[in-house]
Formats: sequence, structure tokens, C-alpha cells
Amino acid sequence: MGVTVLQPYPMPEGKSGAYIIDHLGKRLLSLGATHAGQFLVDCETFISTPQHGTPTRAVHVLHNSECPASTFSIIDNGTGKQVALVADNIFDLLMLKMTNTFTSKKQTKIESRGARFEYGDFVIKLGSVTMMEHFKGVLVEIEYKPCITLSYCWEMIREMLQGFLSINVGKEYPSYFTTQTIMNAMGQQQLHKQNDIYEPMDTIKQYLEQFTNYRKHVQMHSAMGGTVGPVMMNTVVGMGRP
Amino acid sequence: MSNSVNISVETTCENQIREIAYDGTELYQPPPTLSESLAKCAARIDFSKTSLEDLKKEEKSAAAAEEDAKDANIFQESLWPWDAVRNKLKDAYTEICVLSDVISIAKDKRYLVLDPLLEDSDDTKPIVQVYTRKKAISQAAQVLLSGAERLRNAHSELRNPNVKDFHIELLRLRQNWRLKKVSNGAIIGDLSYRTAGSKFGMSGTFEVAKAEDVLDEETTTSNANSSGGNTPNTQISTNNGIQPNGSSSLRVIVPAELQGVAYIKVITQKDQEDLCTAQVNLMGHGPNITAQVGVWQKTLEFAQNVLFCKELFAQLAREAIQLQAPIPHVVIGNQIRATLLPNIQLIISLCHSTSFDSNQPAPINDHDHVLEHSLHQLLREVHYKNSHHPFPHPASAPLGPSKKRMIAGPTAADRDSLLEMTKTQTILEQIIAQAQHIFMRKRTQYVLDTLARDVKDPQIVSHWNAMNSPTMSCVKINIVTHGYDAFGRTSLVIHVKERSLKCICRDGRVMRLSYEPQELRDLILCQINSHQISCLVSLARCMAWTVLSNSNHLGIGKVEPLGNASSCLLASPNSDRMIAVQIRCDPQIDVKVYIARSPRQDFFPTPLVPEKFWENLGGNFKEVRFDKIEGKSFLNKMEFLMASLTSNTA
Repeated sequence: MGVTVLQPYPMPEGKSGAYIIDHLGKRLLSLGATHAGQFLVDCETFISTPQHGTPTRAVHVLHNSECPASTFSIIDNGTGKQVALVADNIFDLLMLKMTNTFTSKKQTKIESRGARFEYGDFVIKLGSVTMMEHFKGVLVEIEYKPCITLSYCWEMIREMLQGFLSINVGKEYPSYFTTQTIMNAMGQQQLHKQNDIYEPMDTIKQYLEQFTNYRKHVQMHSAMGGTVGPVMMNTVVGMGRP
Repeated sequence: MSNSVNISVETTCENQIREIAYDGTELYQPPPTLSESLAKCAARIDFSKTSLEDLKKEEKSAAAAEEDAKDANIFQESLWPWDAVRNKLKDAYTEICVLSDVISIAKDKRYLVLDPLLEDSDDTKPIVQVYTRKKAISQAAQVLLSGAERLRNAHSELRNPNVKDFHIELLRLRQNWRLKKVSNGAIIGDLSYRTAGSKFGMSGTFEVAKAEDVLDEETTTSNANSSGGNTPNTQISTNNGIQPNGSSSLRVIVPAELQGVAYIKVITQKDQEDLCTAQVNLMGHGPNITAQVGVWQKTLEFAQNVLFCKELFAQLAREAIQLQAPIPHVVIGNQIRATLLPNIQLIISLCHSTSFDSNQPAPINDHDHVLEHSLHQLLREVHYKNSHHPFPHPASAPLGPSKKRMIAGPTAADRDSLLEMTKTQTILEQIIAQAQHIFMRKRTQYVLDTLARDVKDPQIVSHWNAMNSPTMSCVKINIVTHGYDAFGRTSLVIHVKERSLKCICRDGRVMRLSYEPQELRDLILCQINSHQISCLVSLARCMAWTVLSNSNHLGIGKVEPLGNASSCLLASPNSDRMIAVQIRCDPQIDVKVYIARSPRQDFFPTPLVPEKFWENLGGNFKEVRFDKIEGKSFLNKMEFLMASLTSNTA
């Protein structure tokens, strides 16, 4: 499992998602990549029943077709702390039993699905993000298999992305990998995620971050009274923009 | 005072009710009068139950039963007790009278005399007594003698270890083999590998019986000390006695298909020549106990060996038919042929000889212990996997997946590793891979050794890794020039796999070679080529000569048949001499050396080039007869050459 970076693709005006995916796929094939199956990453959220005094907790259950034997789960208590878990697929059955405490919010089930390309040491996935059959955007995932630390290969991944996506990818690390300051027993410490060994859970956390962005955007949009259609991501998800 | 109250005490009226009239009045039976009660008491007298009395009682009851219906029964019953008492007393009186009469008569001694009784005299004769005593004593003696005999036998057994008792043999047999007793008294044993995990269909049961003495000591007397219950039909020979040495009192009967000696022969053949051979045999492994326990141990071991070889061959044959190889495997009779490399074949055959010849078949040269051991180990691994299943954690998980697969979920294993887990190799594939690797390794060794023998100038040193896997070995090759080790050493690592080689050079280049030996030879020659030039460059620096240029891939001159030519251009410290060296692989290493002098000797000013200083441009290169130069090696010769060309003039 190598280093994986998610890059949301800014949708140009007037083009549909399918067209974009097709266009990028053709580009990759002409570069010399080989089409190698499909991929699917999905996320389902369970909200705890609201109780007096405690903030509502959310449990996100994610699956990744790249790790078919595992189910990932992240608990989000309202204060921002996240607890992550990797389990067998039987975890899904366990969640079914927890309907007393957690209710599933089916309308927020979100997934990224599309084609998977292998290009030398890279694995590139072009995913179209849909939530309840509504198209939300295009999310590109790129994995560099030989490396396990982002700081060693970020430049190469950035070059690769810029090459075939023809968008400007910023020099700084993606938002998931930025240095965080945490408090622990030894005082304030800086957490450099880009120097840590990359784990499959990091991919899932990145996906969760992106999916949350998409959901927020919908909520914002619906709050503004707008229609749910092809979404312009310029303002909210500005990760790739200079 | 008349305060007292008269109290009358009466008994309750306990009279029996005789009749109840229709109007409710009760007629009581009158209570018994005194005489009636006395009669009742008298009737209860028990005159010590004399037979007479019993008879009378029986008569009375019989009479009472007969006359039950009559009313006069009541009367007779009331009279009866007195009558009984009267009779009893009368009888007693009669007897007392008789007794007194008899005593008075006896006292008179005239008509009746009382004499004491005499005892019986013992009229047995003493001789009978003697006889009975003798018989009793002889029986006691018999018991003691038999006991002493048994003790003597036990002692003699301890002293003489050659005595083989059936039970001791049976004990030894049980210590080494699985036995059980079946209902008809026979002892059945099992020599198959079922308990170790084998699923082979052939049964490995054998029967244990007592050995019948051929040279009979004929006493089939009913010495009922026949030891133990065996088949009742077997002859009971005198087991107490000492058996003749060399035979045991136990015999095993193995099934017909397991008799004899079998082994699996593995041969690698190249166009009808034997390259290497292996024999798979279970003999000679494990502690040797045949010396102490006799013939049956050997028989059983052979039979087990036959069973093992049959199972191994059956498994290999089955896989040979099921597998699909580019060149299909051929199974004929008891031989399996598989192709390792073009023109190289692997032949596995099952040799089973049923005649007991003591001499082993002629030892086949180049006995390969590795292949033999591998086949044995592979089948044992199959047995082990059949009987040992990894325990699931938690206990409710399915039993079956390996431990790796069970933790694949929680450790987020990716698709490639999951796919790897599903791949398994059959025994035949594994042994073919191992045989291919052995062959590749032999070939590589041969190439390296012949090159090392033929090429003397830089020395080729190869170090093989001591720890290898059955399908991969590594060798590190150092190319050094003797005496100039400090100047440079070219090293490369070769990974020898099943059908290919992988070469990793010091500069990081990775080259994949096929199984052809010529490719490796060419590679080494090219490495020698570049080694010479790189060492020359270091040597030149040492000698203060300037390296003007060097190239590993010279693209001038005739096209080389092998590799590329390398070259080097050196200038002396004074810059008055130049040496140019070119090395080609032809395929022998071909060295050409040229020297030039800087101020040309043959410069003559011409109208076109009038100035004198143009002589410094350097003259023609003249070839040196390199083979005639003194020196043990190329570098040595170059050193001498450079030394001779270095001049002191400023």
C-alpha cells in the first residue's frame, strides 16, 4: 500500500461529469496507462440518538474496494476528536444491531465510483462522487506504490497530477497532511503527518474529509435555496486552486 | 356436707352390635360372662406348640371351616377351648404316669436296665491313614514344586537375555507401532500415516501372530500355561523354553501389496544422459532399532516405506494429469516425465521390487539428497496441513482460513496480498521448481568455474551464499587483478532463480538473463572489459598520469561481436607521451595499446604549416606489441609501460 493522495477535480462550466471522466480516461490511456477494473469507495453515516447533555456522535462506516476484506469506521464525537477502526467485513452486521443507539441517515450515503488505471508504479482512479444518485463532483485518487512516506514522493506525485490533469496543484502538502499542533503529555507538539509511515486508514480519512466537504456544500446549497445539480466547487473546495 | 357430686364411672358400652332394627334401635351382643371370658383366656394357652396340639389346631380350623354355616358352631366353639385344655392336660398326665412307671421299673432292675451308650470304635487301619496322608502331602508338594519351577524360570529369563518371550516381543512391537485387539482374538496393527494426516486410500493394516517353531520341540502337551489368549488355532509351542537365536516368537503378516522394497527414483535427464539422480527412501532415517528387535521391525519398516512411496507417487501422478504445463507432463505406468527446460527432463519413477534380495540395487552416481529430502518433506507438509488447522480467533469465526487471512481484514490487506494468499502450489510444481533451480545453479557454477579457469588476467572470485532457499540462490562475483586489489574491484550479485538469472551491478543496473549459459558468459566478459579500464584509470592517477578521456562504449571501429569496446586515453606527467588503450571483447579480451610522442619527431615545416610550434600537437599513434611487454597482467604491463614512458626532463 503506497502513498495515496486525493485530488478533487474542479469542474469546468458546462461540462458534465461523465464527459470529464471520459476525457481524463482517454488522456491516461494515451499516456500508456492500462485500464485495470473498477473501484468503489462508499461511506454511510450513523447518528446517535440525541440525548440531553451529550453532543450527537456520528459513526462513519466506509468501504474501499482496494481492501476488500476490511471495513473502516470512524467515530466523530461532536468535539472534533476522531477515533478510527479497521475491522473485518462482519462489522457491517454489527452496525445493524446497533439501531437502538445509532440511526442511519440514508440520505447522506455517499460514494465515489469509477475506473482504475495502472501506470507503471502509479495507480490512478477517476471517481465520480454521487450522493443518492445525485452527481457531486469528480475525485481523482493517485497512489504511488513503492513509497510509504509522503514527504519523499510528494514532488513526484504533484508533477504527475499536474501532468495529466493539467490543473495547478499547489506546492504545499494536501490539507490532510498539514502539520498539526496537538497537546499531549509532553506539552504542545507538532504532528508531521507527511513524515509518518502511510497507512490505509489515511486514505479513508482523506475520503471522509472530501465526502464531508461535499455534504457541507449540499447543505449550504440547500440552505441557500439552490437546486441540487452539477456543483461548482470553486468557492468551497478550494484545495487545488492557487 | 353434701357438696360432693356423685360421679359414676362406667365403661363405654363397647359391646358388639348384633343387629340394627329398622327403627334404629340397636341390639347389642351381651357382654361375655365371666365364664366365657375365662374360656377365651384358656383357649389362648399355647401348650408349647406340640405336634399334637398343631394337629388339633388344624383339625379345629378345618372343622371350623366346614361347619361355618351352622349355628351350632357358636356353641361348639365355646365348649371347645375347655375340651382342648382338658385333652392337653390329660395327655400330659398320661405321659407323666408312663414316665414315672418306667423310672420305677428301671429302678427295680429286674425287668429293665439302663445302660450307657458305647461310642463307635474307629476301625480304620493304619495303612489307610498312611495313604491318605501321603496323598495330601503329595498334593501340597505338587503346589510347591510348580511354584518353585516358575521362580526358576523367571530367574533364568533374567539371566539369559536371548530368551524371547512372545509377550516381551509384543511389548516392543507396541512401543513402536499401533496395535489393537479385535473381537476374534487376533491382533491387528496399523502402519499407515492416517494419524499423521494422510488421506490415502490404501489400508496399512497388518496382523500379528505367534511364530510357529519350525524345528519343533514337539511338546504340544497340554501345558496350560499358554501365554495369553490368541487365536485358539495356533499351536502352543513351549514358550517357556529358550528359543533358538535369530528367530523371534512373533510374526507379522503384511498385506500383499505392501510387501517388498520400494523407492522413488528421481532423474534429471538431458538428451538421454543422466545428469543427476535422487532416491527417495525412508530407510536410514531415525534410530536404528532393528538390531534389538528382530526381523519384524524391518518388515514393518519396509512395508511402511512402500506405502509412503505409493502415496507420494499417486499424488504426483494425479497432479501431473491435472496440471497444465506448456509442455504437458507424461505419465506412463510408474513413471512421470516432466520438462524442466528445453531438452532437460525430470523423470520420477516408483521402483517396487517384491523379491527380498538383500543386496541393494547398484548405487546410482550423483545421489541428490536435496531432491529426496524435498519430496519427503513436501508430502509430510501436506499431511501436516490436513491434520493441523489454525484456530480461529474469535472462536466463532469459520474454521478454515489461514491465520494470515484471518488478520487480513483488521490489517487492511490490499487486493494483491489477498490474491497472493489464494495461490497454492502442488507438490509436482514445487519439485519441478526445485529441480529447475538445482539445474540452473549447477549450470551457473559451471560457467563461472570455467571462466575463472580460462581467464587468468583479472581473477574472478565467486562467493556463493551458504543460506539459500530451495528455489533461489545468490552468488557474489568479484573481479580483481592480482596485486592491484586496491585499485578497483568490480563486483556484481547474481540471483539464480528457477529459470532465469538476475544480475545486479554495483552501479545499480539490473539485468535479467535467461537460462542460456552463454548470456552469463558474455555478461562476465563485458564486466571484465569495463573492469580493466576502470582499474587502469585508477592506476594512472596513482602514477601521476593524466586521464584525458575514457569511454565504456566506444562506437568506432568495426562492430564488436560482443558488447562494446572500451577505451582510455592517458597523458604522461610531462605531457610528452600519450597512451591510448582499447579493449574489445572478441570474444577473447583483445587489448590494443598505442603510444604517441608529443613533440613530433617527424615534423617538417611546410608552406602550409610553417611554424615550429605545431610540432607540439603530437604525433601519430604507434601500436605497441603488448604481448611482448614484461608483466604478469594487463595492469602490470601498463604500469611498466607508464613507468618507462615517464621522463624526468622538464
